[in-house]
This record gives sequence, structure tokens and C-alpha cells, in this order.
Amino acid sequence: MITLLKNAKIYDPAHQKNGVKEDIYIRNGHIIAKPSDTEKINETIDLKGKVVMAGAIDMHSHIGGGKVNIARMMLPEYQEALRYSEPEAHICGPHCAHHATPSTINTGMHYIEMGYTAAFEPAILAINARQAHLEMGDTPMIDKGGYAMLGNDDYFLRLLANKADQKTINDYVAWTTNATQAIGIKVVNPGGISAFKFNQRRLDLDENNAHYQISPRQILQSLSRAVHDIGIAKPLHVHCNNLGAAGNFQTTLDTMGASDGIPMHLTHIQFHSYAAEGDKKFSSAAAQIAEALNQNKHITADVGQILFGQTVTASGDNMMQHLNTKHANPKKSVIMDIECDAGCGVVPFKYRDENYVNALQWAIGLEIFLSVEDPWRIFLTTDHPNGAPFTCYPHLIRLLMDKPFRDEAFAKLNLDAQAMSNLTSIDREYSLYEIATMTRAGAAKLIGLGDRGHLGIGAAADITVYTEQDDKEAMFSKPSYVFKDGELVVKDGEIIKVVWGKTHTAKPAYDKAVEKGLKDYFDKYHTIQLDNFKISDDEIAQDGRNQVINHTK
Amino acid sequence: MLATCPACGLLCDDINVSDPLTNTCAKSISFFSQPSTEASPSIAGKAVSLDEAVGHAASILKSAKQPIFAGLSTDLSGFRAAFNSAQQVQAPMMHMNAESSWRNTKVLQTRGWQTTTLMEVKNRADVILCIGTDVVSHNPRFFERNVWNKEALFTDPQARDIIYLGGEHLDASAGVSPNGKQPTVLPCALEALPEITAALRALILNKPLKVTTVAGITINDLQAIAERLRQASYAVLIWVAKDLDYAHAELTIQNITEGVVALNEKSRAMGLSLGGSDGDTTVNYAHTWLSALAPAEHDISQHDAMVWINSFSPEKPMPTTKAPTIVIGNSNLQFSTPPAVFIPVATPGLDCSGTLFRVDSSIVLPLKQTRASTLPTLAAVMTQMDALLT
Repeated sequence: MITLLKNAKIYDPAHQKNGVKEDIYIRNGHIIAKPSDTEKINETIDLKGKVVMAGAIDMHSHIGGGKVNIARMMLPEYQEALRYSEPEAHICGPHCAHHATPSTINTGMHYIEMGYTAAFEPAILAINARQAHLEMGDTPMIDKGGYAMLGNDDYFLRLLANKADQKTINDYVAWTTNATQAIGIKVVNPGGISAFKFNQRRLDLDENNAHYQISPRQILQSLSRAVHDIGIAKPLHVHCNNLGAAGNFQTTLDTMGASDGIPMHLTHIQFHSYAAEGDKKFSSAAAQIAEALNQNKHITADVGQILFGQTVTASGDNMMQHLNTKHANPKKSVIMDIECDAGCGVVPFKYRDENYVNALQWAIGLEIFLSVEDPWRIFLTTDHPNGAPFTCYPHLIRLLMDKPFRDEAFAKLNLDAQAMSNLTSIDREYSLYEIATMTRAGAAKLIGLGDRGHLGIGAAADITVYTEQDDKEAMFSKPSYVFKDGELVVKDGEIIKVVWGKTHTAKPAYDKAVEKGLKDYFDKYHTIQLDNFKISDDEIAQDGRNQVINHTK
Repeated sequence: MLATCPACGLLCDDINVSDPLTNTCAKSISFFSQPSTEASPSIAGKAVSLDEAVGHAASILKSAKQPIFAGLSTDLSGFRAAFNSAQQVQAPMMHMNAESSWRNTKVLQTRGWQTTTLMEVKNRADVILCIGTDVVSHNPRFFERNVWNKEALFTDPQARDIIYLGGEHLDASAGVSPNGKQPTVLPCALEALPEITAALRALILNKPLKVTTVAGITINDLQAIAERLRQASYAVLIWVAKDLDYAHAELTIQNITEGVVALNEKSRAMGLSLGGSDGDTTVNYAHTWLSALAPAEHDISQHDAMVWINSFSPEKPMPTTKAPTIVIGNSNLQFSTPPAVFIPVATPGLDCSGTLFRVDSSIVLPLKQTRASTLPTLAAVMTQMDALLT
């Protein structure tokens, strides 16, 4: 069975194709070379006037696991609008709060409706990995995967404090990646979640965790080295210390230098780009951060753009989220310490354009997007749902591609915030090619998904077809066609077939002797058996609905 | 073989199921020694084939206007399948423990909370305050596994302070440390708990109270508890929603959780809700991610057909209703009046494998099949029924 997509105008940055007209042939879920004239083409779709990209990949979105589900449970009012049958009750758009805590079913549906074919949960607590995979397993339409959190777990901190050699650390990191069925490793507020359990309230890059007498910098050095040594493609995913604090940009700049040149990815960097200038002691450090990103080629970042409206922040960083509970809107929140492994903080939030800090956060995110030169090293995220629901991506893309639209939005901001931002002086408008880089080719390269994010021969046929329009929000909201592994699943923005996607993992090698120390630790201090910590391929496969893909060569 | 026990919310996974059972408690012994009964599906008490039973159940559901799926004593895969069937007939779902779960949910949805998990208790807690409960009536091995452990990462287990505040007929024996250190026990009537917890919360907040006793407990005793909590390296405040069986118990829970929030301004403390059984935590969580809403309470008498699912606990009663009832569950279930349909299914952890959430919410454990069985799984029965409901 061969499907031909004819007259496609292709944006495929992995192959430097910038709007070239070509045909695409699909067979058995993959893109193939032009077949011989004797082979039968079963279906031909004419894509004249359409823009074709690989399926988009969200490299950082909280789609599964404990804290997202706590948010759903805590915030039934976000779903209130869905109970009404009257059409006038449904004036909601992509910013509506119910998109901040969607069911797993709606998560998958809304992603594919926008042409996204994969999303990665960036904060899987290792002990909670089974729940994360269960939720992702109930997320239809898209592929998924996740990054396991280390660096606040007592096993690792004990190794580091006892000056374990790098090989021991590497084996533990590789073992954890396998046991949790992750594709990458993340560290959140390095050492800080643990420090909070010992009643420390802030932790700077070179400040010691009071119990272990080790610093976040040492943790970053050790983990970034381990991730590099064991051969995971995805660089260490770093949520820096001092999330959201005025003046935190210095910590972020210093963090870029903490890994001795080994690649690191700094996530939701907007939340870490604040200076403390001005009357309100809160200002933009986007210029310094963007400049540092331009200089430090070993660093990548995603933005974590905020957009105005009601949402909820869900983070492993319970130390900083505990400070944020006083800003909760509505006034409720959950803070947890979890199993000598990590923690979480779930705080509902309403970002308002008339609020000075929120308005400036919005501007800072866009300043970073527009000032970082290399679209292969900056990624489009809202840190769903922390900055805004992922359903806002088309709006965000328009802000990046359309300066008059952006300036109009800027003019509505809090006036003091306007005075503190240089956003209107930036003329850059992202091109379709750059958007395709950020949301497809770059993301796939970063995570190490060889056959995704591009349209070359042999690629998985995850393909999104848009109708070219001046209004880029409209264009990216409703693709004309979406193919998932070669099957047509969305037509004119409507889902026509339900599929379940696959789970992407890395399975780096490790010395089996690592389990000796782990077994002893589990038997003495843990509450479960070591064997029950590990998640098997069969558990994820769920009788064949899902499938584990291993990207380690 | 080491197996995981689903008999209470702790999910102890160190049960040696070879003969004799070891690392057990009364609940796990009772669970693992359930007889393997060869029950047949039945319609109004008359034995029928599985196909006939499923067909009749589907026809009842199709003709009902407002069916409900209740009981829901099952594991994750059973619940997922039941959720799909309930969606097909637009039936709400309510777990047999909904009344007590809902007390917690109301607090979560009003103010949220600050909580911890068992391994943090085991390795960090130096003060454990049990409020209105002895815990062990629900979770028999709680102290054995998480308090009187030989070693801990950050505290001396033997030196922990155990305090029981409020409640009646408490079994405080498990709170005595292995070296004989006695717990503090301050009992009171159940109905006095709102007052006692409000007073403790006030004292934690340093609000002066112009009384000398509250429900028979002296202010000095309560003040001493508040002070001990403030001085703790890591205090854990425990409640069991099922034990708080009175109107507006959520306000008592909120006194506890807001006391924790106040403590965390300066020192470290966390709440912990224990108890749990019959996959209630699993059902709450999976219902939430599949629908974006936590399950709520419903009045069964308002529904014109009921599916009652009870895989784990044949001894637990089924609510009475005049509506036709489809029972799907443990093969040892007994009925005074036979239900419209009965379909015996495999019990996860005995007759088939499974997956459950532990009561402290973050930990999910696999259940093993621990004996041979020919019974179908709940998921298989539901899938078969699904095809007839479309």
C-alpha cells in the first residue's frame, strides 16, 4: 500500500529543504524513495498550496505523572465549562483553563489536532515512573516518552557525598534510565528538593546542601558527565536553582559554566531570566541570557513562555513552589515530599497582562525567543501547563512570526512593564523554516529520535500538512491533514482515526553489579522491593496497544 | 515467591506466599487464604454460561436510563475496562469507599495540603502524631514496616516520639518502640475531634486559648504537642478518613492539614492520609486522569440499574437497591437474594496479575498471580460486554 503526497511544499530543516516542491511516498508507516513505475500507488493526495512539515514534537510538556493528576484532582472548577450543554457557555478558546488539566484522552486528541505527533514528559520521578507511563499509555494519538529525575534522590546524593567514582555514578544513572523506561535524565533545583526536607529554603549554585555538604554545581558536573558518558543522546535536562526569583539570571549564567563544556539543556529558561533592577526590583535579563546562549554552543534551552489566562503550575521543585503557594490563584496548593526521591509542588496560577510581573514575564520569554540566533538550540514550549496550556502554541507561533500582531499585544500590557522591555525594538519574525527547526528537526535531534522530526527516506511517516495562511495562528491551529506512522488520522482539523502511539526510550548499558549496592539500600531503607521499582517493556506494551522503542544503538 | 498484598492501602510487597505465608498480618492472611471457588455465572441465581450472563447484563444496561457503576473493588486494568463500559452507557462511577475518600477530596479541592510518603516517614520522621486513629486497625503493618525499622537514613527509629491524639478504643500497642519507649496517648470521643484539632491548629499558630481543657484534654497537653511538632526535624501528622465518620469530617482534616501548612512556615512537617482498601486510591487516580475529574459521591437509590464490582473483598456488603443489579466480582461472594446477574471474575493478586496505587499516592506496584485460576478477568468480561453495548 503506497500513499503519494503530490506537490508538497516541504519545510524539512534536517535536509535543508526550505519550501521546496517535492512528492512524498509512504509505505508501511515510513517515507520511501520514489517507487518504480510498475508499483501501484494506492492513494494520491494533491497538496497544491499546502505546507508540509514532519509531525511536531513537544520536547517538554507535563502530560503524565503524579503532579499533573493532583492538579486535575484539586481543580474541578477548571472543567466546569465542559458540563454545560448550552452553546453560549462555550466561549472558551485555547487559553481556557480546562486545557491546563485535560484528561489523558483530550491531551492526545488536542495535540494531534494541532499537528503534534509526540510529546515528552520532562519530570518523571523515578519512584513514580509507573504512574507516568500508565497515564501516557492512556494518551492516544501521539508518541510519548520522558526524562527521569535524579539529583535530589538520597541514593545519588549519598554516592556523591561519599565521593563515589564517576563509573559508579554512571552505572546508577544508566540503571535508572532503564528501570524507569526514560529517554533522558533531568535534574530539578539540583540538591534543593532534598535541602528543603532538611528545612533549607533556598539553595544557590555554590551553596551546600546542609546534610550532604555538596553543592548544586557538583551535582550538575556529576550528572552531566554521567549522561554524556553513558551515551544518552538527550543532554542533561536542567531546571536551574532559584526558579522564578528576581535576580536569578546570574545563577542561570553560572549554571551554563557548571558542566565544563559538556552539553546541557536549560529548561523553561524564561523563568530563570530575571534581574532585580527598577523600582519593583524585577526586570528582564533576557538580553544577558540570550547573549550567553549565543556564545555557549554546548547549551540548549526551551523557553517556557507564559501566556495570559488561568492555568496551574506543577513542578518537582517543591522548595520554590512552597514559596509560591502565597501567590496561588485560586487559593489552594499541594506540596509533597516523595519517597526520599524528590517532591512536587502544584500551585494554580492566573497570569494577567495588567500585572507588572506577569506582563514582564511574557515579554522576557519573547525577547529570549527573538534574541537567540540559532533555532536548533532554542525550543518552543510553554512548559505546559506552567506557563500556559499547550493548546496556546499556535498563538505563540503567531507572536513569533508576526511583528505587528506582537506589537499590538505588547501595547495592552501593564505600562510599567512596557517601560522595562525592549521587545518592540526587535524586528525579527520567525520564518516557517525556523519554526520547523524549533518544533521538529531540532527537537528530534536533541532527544535522539533518529527517524522522527524529518521527512527523509526511512523516516517514520509522522507528517503534518497545513494550509498556508497569513494568520499563522489559524494556520497552525488546524492542519489540513495529519499522518501518524503513515495513517491519515486528522483531516481538516478533525480526528478521523484513533491510534495510540508508542513510547520512546533509551537503554544505555551498565554494569549489573550496580544492583548489589541498590539491593542493600532498598532492603534497609526503601519501602518496596528493588524488583518492583523496575518497569518492564510488557507493562508498557499493554497487550500490544503500546510499544517500547529503544533509541540506544 | 514474594508477592504484593492488596488487602489494605499499604501494599506490602514482601509477603512470602510459599507455604507457610510469612511477613503477614491478619488482613493479608485472610486475603491470601481465600478459597478458590468454582462459581458459575448466574442469572437470578440460575447457573448460565458466561456469554448468556454477559448478554443479559448488557441488555439490562441498555434498557436502563440512569445506570451506575459502583463498588469498583478492582485493580487498574479492571477499572480502565469498567470506565470504558460506564462511558458507553453514560454511567457515573462510585467506589465502595467513596464516602471516606470524599472527605479527603473536599479538603484537597478547598485548600490543598502538604503531604509526604511512607519512605520519608521511615527515614526522617522523629515525631509521629496519629489523630483520631490507631492506624493499625486499617494498616496492620504500618509501624512494623515504616516506624520501628532497624535503620533509617536521617533519624534514630527507636527514639521517635509517637503521639495518639483523640479517638476511641485505640490499640496503641504498636506505638511502643521495640526497646519499650511508650507512646503518648490522649484519647477523646470521636465527636470531640473537630474541637481538639481546631485547638491544636490554634496553638500551632500561637493563638491564645482562654480555656484550660478541650473535650477533656488539658491545654497544657495540647500545648506540649504543638511545641513538640514545632521542634521536630520532621513531624508527620496522620489521619485515616474512614475513622472520621461524622458529618463535615472534612473540617477536621482541614484543621490537620492547615496545621501542617502553618508548621512548614518555619520548621518541617507533613501530613499523611492512611487507610485505603479495595483499590480505592487506584480508582480515584485513574478516574481522574481518564476524565479530568475526581470521582464524586452519588445516591445509589437514584439509579435504575447498578453494576456492583467487588473483586477483592467478598465479606464486604453490597448496598441495597430495588434496581436490577449486575454483580461482577470475587467467586466467594454470597447473596441473600440472588442478583439479576452474577459473573465471578479473577481476583488480582491471587488469580491474575494486576497493578495498584499505594495509599500515599505516588507509588504504584505490580500484583502477581499467586495461584492457578480459570476465571476470566474483569477486563475481559468488560471488553466482551462493551461489544454488546455499542
